[in-house]
Amino acid sequence: MEWANDKSKGGVLAHLERLETQMSRSCKNLEDPPRETAESDLGTKIRKLRCLRDKLRAEVKQRQARIKASTANAEPDQTLEISEQEAVGGKEENMKAILQAYRFTGINLFASGLSGKRTSRGVCVCISTAFEGNLLDSYFVDLVIQKPLRIHHHSVPVFIPLEEISAKYLQTNIQHFLFCLCEYLNAYAGRKYQADQLQRDFAAFLAGPLQRNSLCNLLSFTYKVEPQSRSFPFCARLLYKDLTTTLPTDVTITYQGTDASSTSWEEQRASHENLFFTKPLHQVFTSFARNGER
Amino acid sequence: MDETVAEFIKRTILKIPMTEMMTILKAWDFLPENQLQTVNFRQRKESLVQDLVLLCENKRASLRDAALLDIIYTQFHRHQKVWDVFQMSKEPGEDVDLFDMEQFKSSFEKILRRALKNVTVSFRDAEENAVWIRIAWGTQYRKPNQYKPVFVVYYSQTPYAFTSFCHLKSNTPLLSQALTVASNHHKIVKMDLRSRYLDSLKAIVFKQYNQKFETHNSTMPLQENLELDMHMDSRIIHENRIEKERVQRVTQETFGDYPQPRLEFAQYKLETKFKSDFHGGILAERKEPLRCLIKFSSPHLLEALKSLAPAGIADAPLSPLLTCIPNKGMNYFKIRDK
Repeated sequence: MEWANDKSKGGVLAHLERLETQMSRSCKNLEDPPRETAESDLGTKIRKLRCLRDKLRAEVKQRQARIKASTANAEPDQTLEISEQEAVGGKEENMKAILQAYRFTGINLFASGLSGKRTSRGVCVCISTAFEGNLLDSYFVDLVIQKPLRIHHHSVPVFIPLEEISAKYLQTNIQHFLFCLCEYLNAYAGRKYQADQLQRDFAAFLAGPLQRNSLCNLLSFTYKVEPQSRSFPFCARLLYKDLTTTLPTDVTITYQGTDASSTSWEEQRASHENLFFTKPLHQVFTSFARNGER
Repeated sequence: MDETVAEFIKRTILKIPMTEMMTILKAWDFLPENQLQTVNFRQRKESLVQDLVLLCENKRASLRDAALLDIIYTQFHRHQKVWDVFQMSKEPGEDVDLFDMEQFKSSFEKILRRALKNVTVSFRDAEENAVWIRIAWGTQYRKPNQYKPVFVVYYSQTPYAFTSFCHLKSNTPLLSQALTVASNHHKIVKMDLRSRYLDSLKAIVFKQYNQKFETHNSTMPLQENLELDMHMDSRIIHENRIEKERVQRVTQETFGDYPQPRLEFAQYKLETKFKSDFHGGILAERKEPLRCLIKFSSPHLLEALKSLAPAGIADAPLSPLLTCIPNKGMNYFKIRDK
């Protein structure tokens, strides 16, 4: 029996004694604290661990998503923060300021991507147009954030050269793309507004309907300046060769009255030309109306 | 009034359903309101038409007026024609298009008349700066046939023109030329797109069919769209719920939430060589490709395709050959071996 001669002092019986004292001591320890605190200790421990687990899970998700976004967007545009992850990552203030600046120019950006597509993140751009303080139509462009960037769908009218503008700028400079499109749309909306105002408010000054086209960049009409007059002595032809402006680039006024010899008609004709070059269409007619009242 | 014109007016008015008679006559604006009121609209159609034709004769209706009535009738019944789509293009770097409607009309008519003495061309302005053109073709020796006209719808400053199906294919090149030159374009190509529903064709080529834009700043849960009829009865457990949701999601990604443009058919012409693992089979040695034609027809093809996967008839996602139809603006396909 070798184990009887082991290192523990006193041999087997002493060992057994030691075990006994150990046993009684641990029994005492167990009985000392009340059972409820033991349980509540465990409870709080469990809760703490759960909290920690949730935090870690969230962090893992964030990191995964950030990696996804950064690989999809290999060339992040420095000035235009589009992805939602960036906002979450603490750059929210920066993005808010940029979006605010865009909003002042009539461009609103919305994080979309939920038109059924979970796989690609999208941005929906809303371009609001205005002229002389009047809010006009809004147009939408839904972009898919992928390489290459592409337009998913949009509400830009078919006669606005969207393909040309996106071919030039969409892949290289999205900011320029948006501003360029904004320019075209605002100018179109402004020209349309002027033509609509003329047709609506000054129909009495026109002989027959206003000739126009989709872009409102060629307007042709026959008009008079005196409300009481029965004849319509002037013919106007306005060309807007620059699609980013709301004032004409070419104005031709011809006098078709019977009194061709009189110089006053020539003076009037010339002054009208000047007016149409410098003032919006409906304002020109407002001044005609005002002069006619005198 | 010419007898042929009277007959033409009579036949046109006879086509008009009684419910639309007043509306169309008012749109025509040839017979004044007070004259129309003298007519008894409750009598039998044949007698009503006789009365109306008499009024037209008294007012000396011309071929021009009759043609205008025909345009208006067709505008109200555009589904009775089958429409083709032509796409025009310009040279790159062209000047801004200063489209003048009057110039377009005169140029268009001049080009046709230069080539063909016997032709009737009529125009009617429409909304959205568009114009409806009616062309009755004749030949060198025959007067124009007023009963088989071609209609063209053109929206100014766009590259697309819609033409009603013409039996006389020989006049198509002339028509294409007139359209191209008059609208300041250089080239014209016929698209592989055809339908009775002119408005749907317009929606497809103008890319106006999807006008739903997500403008929420918060993420919108998709779940509300996917609920389907899952919660109809709590005693029913859908074993394939996950698959159903997947199908629904894929369908929504492909077809979107918007009403689909209306087409009646999609046609696929296949020209492929027979591919087989069995060497020495009859068809394996065939050098000529096999040809076959597959046609899908439906009162509303795209809605039908959209409902295939959710109904369990087809797998989702559907073949891109079917789902690309509105995006590519095609419903005629030629598939060959690459």
